Amino acid sequence: MAEQKKVRFVIERQDGPTEKPYTQEFDVDYRPGLNVVAALMEIQKNPVTADGKKVAPVVWECNCLEKVCGACMMVINGKARQACCSLIDNLKQPIHLAPARTFPVIRDLLIDRSVMFESLKRIQGWVEVDGTWEVKDAPIQNPYTAQTAYEISHCMTCGCCLEACPNVGPQSDFIGPAPTVQAYLFNLHPLGKFDAPKRLNALMEKGGITSCGNSQNCVEVCPKNIKLTTYLAQLNRDVNKQALRNIFDK
Amino acid sequence: MFHTTFYLRRLHSLVGLLVLGMVLFEHIFTNSMALGGAPALNGALAMMELIPKPVFLMLEVCGIAVPLLFHAIYGIYIALQANNNPGRFGYIRNWQFALQRWTAWFLVVFLVWHVGYLRLFTKGITGTPISYELLQSYFTGHPLYAVLYIIGMFAAIFHFSNGITTFCMTWGIAKGPRIQTVINCLSMCLCVVLCLITLVFMGSYFVM
Amino acid sequence: MANKPENKIIVVGGGLSGLMATLKICEGGGKVDLFSYCPVKRSHSLCAQGGINACMDTKGEHDSIYEHFDDTVYGGDFLADQLAVKGMVEAAPKLIKMFDRMGVPFTRTSEGVLDLRNFGGQKNKRTCFAGSTTGQQLLYALDEQVRRWEVKGGVKKYEFWEFIKIIKNKDGICRGIVAQNMNSNEIVSFPADVVILATGGPGQVYGRCTASTICNGSAVSSVYQQGAEIGNPEFLQIHPTAIPGTDKNRLMSEACRGEGGRVWVYRENPETHEKERWYFLEDMYPAYGNLVPRDVASRAIYKVVVHMGLGMHNPNRVYLDLSHIPADYLERKLGGILEMYDDFVGKDPRKVPMEIFPSIHYSMGGIWVDREHHTNIPGLMASGECDYQYHGANRLGANSLLSAAYSGTISGPESLRLARSGKLGEALTKAELEDARQECVAEFDKIRNMNGPENAHKLHHELGDIMYKYVSVERENIGLTQCMKELHEILKRWDNIGVTDHGTWANQEAMFVRQLRNMIIYAMAITKSALLRDESRGAHAKIVLDDKGERVTDEKGDLVFMPRDDARFMRTTIVTFDAEHEEPEVSYREFEHSLIKPRLRNYAVAKKE
Repeated sequence: MAEQKKVRFVIERQDGPTEKPYTQEFDVDYRPGLNVVAALMEIQKNPVTADGKKVAPVVWECNCLEKVCGACMMVINGKARQACCSLIDNLKQPIHLAPARTFPVIRDLLIDRSVMFESLKRIQGWVEVDGTWEVKDAPIQNPYTAQTAYEISHCMTCGCCLEACPNVGPQSDFIGPAPTVQAYLFNLHPLGKFDAPKRLNALMEKGGITSCGNSQNCVEVCPKNIKLTTYLAQLNRDVNKQALRNIFDK
Repeated sequence: MFHTTFYLRRLHSLVGLLVLGMVLFEHIFTNSMALGGAPALNGALAMMELIPKPVFLMLEVCGIAVPLLFHAIYGIYIALQANNNPGRFGYIRNWQFALQRWTAWFLVVFLVWHVGYLRLFTKGITGTPISYELLQSYFTGHPLYAVLYIIGMFAAIFHFSNGITTFCMTWGIAKGPRIQTVINCLSMCLCVVLCLITLVFMGSYFVM
Repeated sequence: MANKPENKIIVVGGGLSGLMATLKICEGGGKVDLFSYCPVKRSHSLCAQGGINACMDTKGEHDSIYEHFDDTVYGGDFLADQLAVKGMVEAAPKLIKMFDRMGVPFTRTSEGVLDLRNFGGQKNKRTCFAGSTTGQQLLYALDEQVRRWEVKGGVKKYEFWEFIKIIKNKDGICRGIVAQNMNSNEIVSFPADVVILATGGPGQVYGRCTASTICNGSAVSSVYQQGAEIGNPEFLQIHPTAIPGTDKNRLMSEACRGEGGRVWVYRENPETHEKERWYFLEDMYPAYGNLVPRDVASRAIYKVVVHMGLGMHNPNRVYLDLSHIPADYLERKLGGILEMYDDFVGKDPRKVPMEIFPSIHYSMGGIWVDREHHTNIPGLMASGECDYQYHGANRLGANSLLSAAYSGTISGPESLRLARSGKLGEALTKAELEDARQECVAEFDKIRNMNGPENAHKLHHELGDIMYKYVSVERENIGLTQCMKELHEILKRWDNIGVTDHGTWANQEAMFVRQLRNMIIYAMAITKSALLRDESRGAHAKIVLDDKGERVTDEKGDLVFMPRDDARFMRTTIVTFDAEHEEPEVSYREFEHSLIKPRLRNYAVAKKE
């Protein structure tokens, strides 16, 4: 019988937020269709490094394993992506895993992305409904606009675009492409657009859309293929118009 | 609430493209006169001397010095916000993004030298007028300076051309990916053309 | 006007139901502490794909709320509380309008109104949808509204906090919880007026299933061990079309069939003896075809592949075919999930048939609640998939999002009413809170220092294997008895687990060990109630065994299943925990079924009322 094919993982680990990172290597049995999360699960079942040392299993975050929850984003062979849909067959070996260091590292590959959810508060990412009670029929919507909204609404706050964006990080206060573009989603909605000026004004503040430097990495790495740069440009247009209104309407 | 960051950044974009773009074009235009030899370039320089001194000085201060200083200082602030990563994410636009910042750093140093030596020291303090002969002896006497000037020009031209692309995005003029690609191609073509012109007129000092 | 005292409600779970309840409580003037394993935006509700049922009747089919009601009860094989179902289907259209106002990007018709699609077990178009990611879109809408309330100060989120157990006051009323921060591993007690559990399903009991890794039913099992009754746990929905995987089985929505997808296998034509595609669902169930309810479809696939030996073997698969449908139509209606198949399998479902097989998907059963979502423990409520309400013995596709959202609209206001009723006895004292906390700290410390030879994740894998072997599509009493025995062994082996991570910082391993014990205990509740329910109903299909314990077959060689037995088993299974023997105790309870008289469920012919 042929020897079991192994996949080598080089994993950047870190025991706590202030500890020093170090790397460990693991071998996982190859099987067809294996993905990075499945491999990490195998390491959980047998947390022994390639040189035979028994260690604590690698810590990471995952939920759905279907590329909709956004939890398992990490840096795989240098690129920010979802671990669940990173098939081993499509990756160069040995496979390097590292946490997305744009965000504070909690432990190993587990990171703290709460800043993204805070940013969603800042851009007022919601429709100001009166309440959950019945009001009347919801307004009819242009099906094409709804399709655009649907595309943007796929954003799962995974943080790939923030990790790739050169303007996001401790050196800058940019909220990043994902939360910025969410503002456009609500500006498209027939009720949400009532508060569009508020959202546009929020985007004009420090760390808002002004911090975008058009490197366009976001659109390249978005796992949901959201046309982020298109909507950023649209928002730029809207924000500029809003600025003129701010100046000339008062 | 007054969005200082926003207006400064937009002003930075406007100043860079329109005002400093004009300055760059003026430089390329005037300097390309070198192709016609000493009479042509000196003639063009003399034309500028026709503008009354106080007006000229005011133009220099308001049209070049102030915008340049603003663009440079605020630009440094912007460049410091970037953590360039084309090594990890090697997409074309990301390289351009990084180059925009690297050329900016180079230009800050280069322009201090260029303006300091030619405008402030040579023309301002020693009172020597700039002329074809002066430039020719300067460049041919120090080929390294010529190379640095060529690199400086290339940096400025790239910074300007790429600035056209980002200007169109920042102002929401080019929205979709197709138009953005087209504009990027056009401005990179412009970049190549302007660089070639620069190479030719700088080379002309050595052959004539 | 005197200031009302502030009511603090703890909601555990940030999926559709938990968030809906949270919103209702905030609107009612209460304050919410919202606990979740993960950022609520990553809750499992977002895995729902196909849609949400509501009688909107915008397709000229004269759909009616009664029809929705009847389909749900009939689909659930007459085991659902009919008054509860009636309330749900009546509220459905209002909920859809609410979601629409909140900005859910539902797919629309050319004139801009909500589009509807077909779904299993229903003859009318009744399913509102947002492409093929309806759950994601609904969850996001509520997440946004809750964020708005967070800014307003009504909600405090505790994300990355794991619920450990409830705390009762001296009158036995639930007045708080103990939870653990999953990063710092700090264990804290939280007092409240009322606690609502909205912790979702127990899919991880089966290991590989369509559920997220967070859906382990640990919270449900924990309150079960503290005295909460579980209702109908033996009814687990097996989704007929999932993409089997070694890490999880990924859901391939019923919407595929709703939009015209066909299920087939190769077979030799019995007359012409030529190899042909056999569209067996269309053949077996001419009235509903590919759109039979999930339990029926799963059994049919199981029969064709396992018993008839058709389809692909090793691994077992059948084809789900969309390749005959125009690509642009598929893109618009099903884009997201087709991309997923491509991502994980590497083949384009627009061109080649998908390879699928049934997988554990949803638990109809859960914590027993009354129609207002109170459990049998005063002060503890349950809502969403973690309760047993609305679906009876089988859930219709696209009713889960509805029941999750709807139950939140009931449990939320009801929790406030209870909090203000003055019937909650005394709040927990400092000492009670601290005692409960200490108990959990001690337990966690014990787990952290376990040093046996067993690996928790391997044990979990075995648990899943056992459950799939004995308690899945087809069940029989010998197997179920054996299953109980093996589960007891697993529980014993749990004591011999060894952890490699002994630390107190983001120690996921130790937390998993704690969850695993809960999962094993819940698995016993499932198995025991399946063992004792001697009939076939909905998702619970039991094979007849003869005196020697052999499986009985009919003249065609097909397995014989026990018939539905309304006289004995048209009752809710109630499971309570016998702590001394660590055994589930099963009893049966009457429920409300006065509105629609039970009739035989047969999807081969059009439904008769």
